[in-house]
Amino acid sequence: MHPAGLAAAGTPRQPSKRRIPVSQPGMADPHQLFDDTSSAQSRGYGAQRAPGGLGYPAPSASPQAAFLADPVSNMAMAYGSSLAAQGKELVDKNIDRFIPVTKLKYYFAVDTMYVGKKLGLLFFPYLHQDWEVQYQQDTPVAPRFDINAPDLYIPAMAFITYVLVAGLALGTQDRFSPDLLGLQASSALAWLTLEVLAILLSLYLVTVNTDLTTLDLVAFLGYKYVGMIGGVLMGLLFGKIGYYLVLGWCCVSIFVFMIRTLRLKILAEAAAEGVPVRGARNQLRMYLTMAVAAAQPLLMYWLTFHLVR
Amino acid sequence: LELGINFDHIWQKTLTVLHPLKVADGSIMNETDLAGPMVFCLAFGATLLLAGKIQFGYVYGISAIGCLGMFCLLNLMSMTGVSFGCVASVLGYCLLPMILLSSFAVIFSLQGMVGIILTAGIIGWCSFSASKIFISALAMEGQQLLVAYPCALLYGVFALISIF
Repeated sequence: MHPAGLAAAGTPRQPSKRRIPVSQPGMADPHQLFDDTSSAQSRGYGAQRAPGGLGYPAPSASPQAAFLADPVSNMAMAYGSSLAAQGKELVDKNIDRFIPVTKLKYYFAVDTMYVGKKLGLLFFPYLHQDWEVQYQQDTPVAPRFDINAPDLYIPAMAFITYVLVAGLALGTQDRFSPDLLGLQASSALAWLTLEVLAILLSLYLVTVNTDLTTLDLVAFLGYKYVGMIGGVLMGLLFGKIGYYLVLGWCCVSIFVFMIRTLRLKILAEAAAEGVPVRGARNQLRMYLTMAVAAAQPLLMYWLTFHLVR
Repeated sequence: LELGINFDHIWQKTLTVLHPLKVADGSIMNETDLAGPMVFCLAFGATLLLAGKIQFGYVYGISAIGCLGMFCLLNLMSMTGVSFGCVASVLGYCLLPMILLSSFAVIFSLQGMVGIILTAGIIGWCSFSASKIFISALAMEGQQLLVAYPCALLYGVFALISIF
């Protein structure tokens, strides 16, 4: 208890955000707990001792009150700091309930090689043979070690870059103003949310048992922003011809990419190995995959054509 | 000197930013201080004012959102976490080259080819130093470019405000 009190009081050089404000309870509380005859004197001593925090009893009058005041004020300081720590823990625990932090961390465990190869794959998925995600004792391997694993770094960065590039494109047509950025960001986010909800709804209706989590889906849907950025940048540099060429190329690439990736996740295992399986259920699943993959180019065009005039 | 401002540390960190090719020491970020970054932000705002752009509110807003975003990203990407003060401090220190850019913008206009090349160079410098400090302080390996890219986006927005 004492070291905690010393530590809390002995760091005046830290900026105020770090310091836990326990000097107030240290001074007020212990004196109300004790029905002390020498209350006035102990209050004086308490005010002197609490910032110092040394814990040495006063040599002169009323040594009893001073001796009681010091450990109590230290205890109060320790209590205050533990209360602050508890509050922080409470916030962390509740954040964990709403946002699954450890699961999110899996999607951000990337390195530069992975990002480079994945971007190459997004633009040119035609030569890649093996699309299966590797597992390691029931859990999928981190994206660092397996290029087929979905990640959230690329979609997040692509989304932000798309908002900035859209702001830039609109700015070169009129005047640049920073509120445009906010507008673009919120409308793009709204479209993304709508898309995720629509696909989740259709997956639910078709009663597919997949291990496709929501975060996986967000990751896959976020990959199209990379193509959109490419298209808009080419459109800014080379006009409409460049925009249509690059956008067309990226649309086809993302279509192939989505089909090959989702096929493994949505369709039943037999069909995934290339053996065509008849049956209404598998056909329905295949139509669903094709619909999701076809929606990507459409959205890519819809969200960018107004940026390139 | 009980002001709580350690001038030696501030100077050390400034030197780290100004020598982008020198390897950074990981322990300099153990003490979070916001005195240096505050000075740099105010200087940046002052140079913007000199150039006639009264958009100080946007600088604040964007830097707040950018710091928050970097804080979330670095916490998700690194093994050890970071505190928000540390992120704000590093980003504020690496704003120093951007002040050079905006003071240029007071005298010359940056909208020509020279201006674009200079802007790109300065953005690269800022994000390279910021990512170098983050990497050494958080012991992340093979992720320097990944950290540099969001920093470049943030400083790019600042540069856009300087130019337009």
